[in-house]
Amino acid sequence: MNPGTTLSHAAAKPRWFSPAGFVRARFRRWLQARLPRTDMLLLTQGNVYILPTRAGLMFGLTMLVLLIASINYQLNLGYVLTFLLAGSGIVSMHLTHATLRGLTLHLKPIAPVFAGERAILNVVLTSPDSARFGIGLKVSSAAESTLGWFDVPAGGQAQAQLSFVPEQRGVHELPALGAETRFPLGLFRTWAVWRPASELLVYPKPERPPAPLPAARPVPGGPTQLRSTSGGEVEGVRAYRRGDPLKLVAWKKAAKALESGGELVSRDTSASAHQELWLDWQTCSGLVPEDRLSRLTAWVLAADRAGADYGLRLPNLTIEPAGGEAQRRRCLEALALWA
Amino acid sequence: MALTLSPLAPWPGWKYLPRDARDTLFLLGVIAWTVLPHVPHLPAWCSLLTLAVLLWRTKLALSNSALPGRWVLVGVLLIAAALTFYSFRTLLGKEPGVTMAVVLMALKTLELRARRDAFVVFFLGFFLVLTHFLYSQSLAVAAAMLVAVWGLLTALVLAHMPVGQPSLRIASTLAMRTALLGAPIMVLLFVLFPRISPLWGVPQDGISSTGLSNTMRMGSVAEVALDDSIALRVRFDGAVPPPEAMYFRGPVLSAFDGTEWRAAPARADAERQPENLRVRGAPVRYEMTLEPLRLSTLPLLEASASAPLIEGYRITPREDLRWVADRPLFERLRFNAEAYPAFSQGPTQRNLRLISQLDLPASFNPRTLEWAAALRRDPRYANADARALAQALLQYIRTGGFSYTLAPAEYGRDAIDEFWLDRRAGFCEHFAAAFVVVMRALDVPARVVTGYQGTDPTPIDGYYIVRQSSAHAWAEYWQPGVGWLRADPTAAVAPDRISRTRRLQAAPGIVAGTIGSLSPALLAQFRESWEAINNRWNQWVLNYSRGQQFDVLKRLGVHSPSWEDLALLLIGALSTLAFGGAAWAWWDRHRVDPWVRQLESMRAALRRLGVAAAAHDAPRALAARLRERYGAQGESLAELLDTLERQRYSRASTVRPDAALTRRFLWLAQRLRMQPRVVAPG
Repeated sequence: MNPGTTLSHAAAKPRWFSPAGFVRARFRRWLQARLPRTDMLLLTQGNVYILPTRAGLMFGLTMLVLLIASINYQLNLGYVLTFLLAGSGIVSMHLTHATLRGLTLHLKPIAPVFAGERAILNVVLTSPDSARFGIGLKVSSAAESTLGWFDVPAGGQAQAQLSFVPEQRGVHELPALGAETRFPLGLFRTWAVWRPASELLVYPKPERPPAPLPAARPVPGGPTQLRSTSGGEVEGVRAYRRGDPLKLVAWKKAAKALESGGELVSRDTSASAHQELWLDWQTCSGLVPEDRLSRLTAWVLAADRAGADYGLRLPNLTIEPAGGEAQRRRCLEALALWA
Repeated sequence: MALTLSPLAPWPGWKYLPRDARDTLFLLGVIAWTVLPHVPHLPAWCSLLTLAVLLWRTKLALSNSALPGRWVLVGVLLIAAALTFYSFRTLLGKEPGVTMAVVLMALKTLELRARRDAFVVFFLGFFLVLTHFLYSQSLAVAAAMLVAVWGLLTALVLAHMPVGQPSLRIASTLAMRTALLGAPIMVLLFVLFPRISPLWGVPQDGISSTGLSNTMRMGSVAEVALDDSIALRVRFDGAVPPPEAMYFRGPVLSAFDGTEWRAAPARADAERQPENLRVRGAPVRYEMTLEPLRLSTLPLLEASASAPLIEGYRITPREDLRWVADRPLFERLRFNAEAYPAFSQGPTQRNLRLISQLDLPASFNPRTLEWAAALRRDPRYANADARALAQALLQYIRTGGFSYTLAPAEYGRDAIDEFWLDRRAGFCEHFAAAFVVVMRALDVPARVVTGYQGTDPTPIDGYYIVRQSSAHAWAEYWQPGVGWLRADPTAAVAPDRISRTRRLQAAPGIVAGTIGSLSPALLAQFRESWEAINNRWNQWVLNYSRGQQFDVLKRLGVHSPSWEDLALLLIGALSTLAFGGAAWAWWDRHRVDPWVRQLESMRAALRRLGVAAAAHDAPRALAARLRERYGAQGESLAELLDTLERQRYSRASTVRPDAALTRRFLWLAQRLRMQPRVVAPG
């Protein structure tokens, strides 16, 4: 059903084959596949990992040097210093872990995007107790530099935005997200991997520059008297629908309606549209299927922008002509999911 | 704002500085604080260079300018290394090491580019803190370094708060919290970490302590610290020698360069025996418990004829009647020894080695040399022997208006001149040194002997206690036909010091003197509490060693504690801590978010109503399903779910789940279950 469940975002490809890197990547994939998908993740002991950083190892080395100096010079205050640092280091391990532990991550519903466009993930971080500092969020496989940093106030929430670029149309599982922190001393890095359950609908990439719309055809068996939308009388009005072009708004009536507390009204052109615009798979012959879908997508957007009614014809699937937001969405979904 | 800020512009205020500039200034301040106590030990160029670099860095931070290139730093570093070599003639050892560490620290601030650079500064900072303890481990230094460590930790925390402009107060509180939480681990490690002897030999100059040392510097010690800590305990089998015979012989200093006395260079192994020691009478047998003195010379009671047996050490004699262990004593030792209070030592005939004990630097103390020459010209002493000359000098001290004080003002270059002819106030080191210088000027071989003299007047449990404050210096001069003779010039001016072996109180300083004249009781109280604090500090922190560790173990019920017991106890305690942490983690693993718990109870109620409710369904989805199935009847429940959705996910979300909502939902669900169905399930 889903033509592209693998996502290729800013994942750095190794320049040459390295066995260690391969094993590590396989291990990470295996580990992540074991994680249950959920839109709300409570970070607990079970899903927060911790390891010392390079600086942490350096800190250990420094303490070893301090300890040896204290032993060799028999400095009791040197021991005090060394052990104070050791104690702080051990405590910082717990504090680093506690910065993530207990935190709740929640993903807000996400809007569909076109392939190649930036998909925005809105994540809410909630701390039930104390304030938490220096929490970094990123798409797990993205580069270190894409980390966004957030503080969560005590008993409060922080809003975080993450983005990634899906390259292919279809229903995508969201990429695993990573939360990490080194607060307070930077000696340890603690991180959690989160696989959100929500799915992202990715429409095909619209063709650019768009090919001209195909000509509208008279409807066989329809009314023989044809009237153009622009010149003809208005047959009726209906409530404004999102996506209606401004030229369709019946401004006089709308003004009255607004005064009486109503909504904008548009001319109802459906009755007058006796021509039908069909966006047909067959008209884009000579293109590979994905490019056909791209062209159809561009057409859907153009037709919608023009305020025309349009229908979509795909192999095995036909959507009857209609207009407005619902039609646009229906068509784009069909294009996204067509297989 | 940062671009237009110049050092000449008015100070914008700490709060209005850009974040980077503020953090950098804070770090520079901490570094300055950490380096500052080193200034007296550093060559002047190093202090000036460090000051210049720190000021330059401050200017760069305030004007937000670019840092200098790497080659500039390398150049400065090379120059600093050359200057260090010029100052110390070496790059190894304590002083050059500290100098280079300070320079590195200062220069590294000019290279704060990446996170890694910042860490290098922090770790160098911790190392610099440790180097202070090589010079002094007093309470004041400890307090100053505690502040330095706090500052470094604060800077470290600040570096890991990347969002916004966190206040210094918050960062320092967090740093302090980290350190305080780590304090129990520190105490545990400090108490139980086995004190082992040095892993390899270290230059002995690295140790500063009141007590004995291998050198004696004139004119630099303005006020000798009164260190009441215990140096050794002695228990005598049989008769106790009189106080004036209680000389515990330590390092013998015979080389004098005008400012400093040193031990003579070591001699070949073959000559390692007491030179011509002749003992008389019966020996005094005693048991000595020696605290770690960090010297290889054993302060044995004069005069020992044979080496005491000490497990793990090889004790050999030297021709100057010292007994030396094969490595410095870094642990408490207990051993039996015997001494002959009546003895003579040294060659009876003048020999080559004695000549070296006449050396005096020509350019120092000219007036004393002139004074000695004048004495020689006196017909009474023209042909006098060494013994008569010594008597004359002691007489001069007795009648020349000399006074004994532990707080003489600092002496200048020609310290002996000043002491012997002008100020005439000092303590044993001054008296002994001046005596030896004058004797040598009179062509009598003489040398300074250091050690301990006297004990606490009353024994405790049969043990006589010798404290560090009983450290003493006396003189020996050579009498033809007899050998070396002891002369204690301090006894000539302060006989109390010797015969009653009462330790003298230091003269009060200016502040103490003022308080003392206003309220003697208050001063006494101050001094008492200060001494008590200092004593605790000495006893519990500075003198905490393997012996005390074993005492702790004994108190815990271990009968014959050993190194292994200590290690086992430490491992046990640490494992218990770690295990406790793991157990807590296991318990914490089952902690559930209150929101999740709330939603779970609601889902359970919905399932009882026959509505499918999976774990990933949001309240909104559940409400839709409920409406679909129950229609108007389920509306009130669905509305509650919508409310929950709003509470949970709106921008102004509430933090805690609404318990009233949960109760109402469960109650409504229960009621709905009891009601007859109106709408058949579709």
